[in-house]
Amino acid sequence: MNIQIDGKTCIAEPGESILETARRNNIDIPSLCHHEALPGLACCRLCVVEIEDATGNRLVVASCVYPVAESVTVYTNTEKIKKHRRTNLTLLAGHVPEVKGVLLAYCREYGVIRDDSHMKAVVKEKCILCGLCVTACEALGNSAIQMAMRGIDRVVAPPFNEPSLNCIGCASCARVCPTDAIDCESVSGNRKIWGKTFSLVKCAACGEPYATVDELDWLKGKLLDTELNLAYCPNCRRRVSVNTGK
Amino acid sequence: MILPRERLLELFQAYPRDRRYALPLLQDIQKQCGYLPKEHIIEAAGYLGVPLSRIYAMATYYRSFSLEPRGKYVIKVCDGTACHIKDSKNVLETLKGLLCVGVGGMDKDGLFSVETVNCLGACALAPVMMIGEEYFGKLTEESITEILEGFRKREAVVAGI
Ligand code: SF4
Ligand code: SF4
Ligand code: FES
Ligand code: FES
Repeated sequence: MNIQIDGKTCIAEPGESILETARRNNIDIPSLCHHEALPGLACCRLCVVEIEDATGNRLVVASCVYPVAESVTVYTNTEKIKKHRRTNLTLLAGHVPEVKGVLLAYCREYGVIRDDSHMKAVVKEKCILCGLCVTACEALGNSAIQMAMRGIDRVVAPPFNEPSLNCIGCASCARVCPTDAIDCESVSGNRKIWGKTFSLVKCAACGEPYATVDELDWLKGKLLDTELNLAYCPNCRRRVSVNTGK
Repeated sequence: MILPRERLLELFQAYPRDRRYALPLLQDIQKQCGYLPKEHIIEAAGYLGVPLSRIYAMATYYRSFSLEPRGKYVIKVCDGTACHIKDSKNVLETLKGLLCVGVGGMDKDGLFSVETVNCLGACALAPVMMIGEEYFGKLTEESITEILEGFRKREAVVAGI
C-alpha cells in the first residue's frame, strides 16, 4: 500500500510501523527506544509524528508503534513535532547529568542544552529507563537483567543486584543502550559487566578479542550447525568460509 | 522464617508451572514467611520456569512484598495527605523513639517492623496507623506508647510469661 510521508509517496508493508516505513524510504525519524530487531517499548517519545486522517483531523502519535494505514498522511518534522521533541529531550537529558551516546547527538541536533535551574539530575544516573537492554537480553534468551524496584527507585539490575548466573557477558545490552549507561570495560583480556568478569577469546585469524568464553559456550549449546567455526570473529569467519567453501 | 523444603513444595504444588501464577505464589510465600526469602524466590523461579530476573522484578515492584524479614506485627504508618498534615512525621518519630527503628526496619525482638503507606482510607481519623489488621486513629505520643504496650502484653500472654 502507499502512504504519504512528508509529501513523498512511500510503499508500506501491511502491519509495519510508520517509523519502519519512513526509514525504508530514507526519511529519518529520531528514536531512542526503538531497535529494528526488538519489539518497540514506546517510552522515549522522540519518534513522535503528526498524522492526518481523511477528514483532516491531526493527531500526534509515536511512530515506532503506530501501524501504517492507507488513509493517513504523515508529517515528521512540523514545528509542533519539533517542539514536542525538544521538550522530550529536555526531560530525558534532565534525568541524566552526563548526557552521552545517541541522546547527546540528538540534544545537539535539536539544540537542547541541559539546564539545571529547572531540574536537578539524579546524581550519577545515566540510564533513562528505556528498557532496550532488558528486551535485548530477553530476546537472546538469557533474561539476566530486568527493570526492578518502582517509582523513583526504578533501575535496571540483575536479580538481587548480584552477578547473574544467566549473564554470558555478551554485552548486547551495553551495545543497544542509547545513553551508554551500562558499564562495560574490557581490560587485559577480560570483560567486566554487571559485576561479573568474563575471559575474552581472541580471533584465531586477526587476534582481536571478539567474544567471551561463556558466550561461545552458550552459542555452542544453541547451534545445530556444528560447521560454524567459532574460533574466528564474525568478520574473519566470513572470509574463511568463503575461501574454504565451508 | 525460611520454610522447610516439603512445606515450600506444598505451596508450589497448588499452582501449575506457569508464569501467570508467579504473583499468587509469591503472595503465599510472603504470607507464610512474613517476607520473601531470597532462596525461596530462586526456587519459585525454577519451579515456574520463569527467569529469576523477572520474579525479582515482580518481588521488588509491589509494595506489599518485602525482601527483608519483617516483625510479627507490621506497623503501617499512614503518610497520605491528611495524615501528613496531621503530623505523621511525629508518629514515625515516636515509634522510632520507642522501637529504635526507622521506616523499613524491624525492632530487635522481631516483634514490630515499621512501614509507611499512602492513605489507609480513614483520613477523618488522621493521623492513622495500622498494626496487622487493626486500625488506630487520632494518634498521640501517649496513645502510641499505650498501643505498643498492649501488643507487648498480648505477646506475653501468648508466650505464657
Ligand atoms: S551481557 Fe549479560 S546482561 Fe548484557 S545482554 Fe549479555 S547476557 Fe544479558
Ligand atoms: S541501561 Fe540503557 S538501554 Fe537499559 S534502560 Fe537504561 S538507558 Fe535504556
Ligand atoms: S522510539 Fe518511539 S517511543 Fe521511543
Ligand atoms: S491520609 Fe492517612 S488515612 Fe488517608
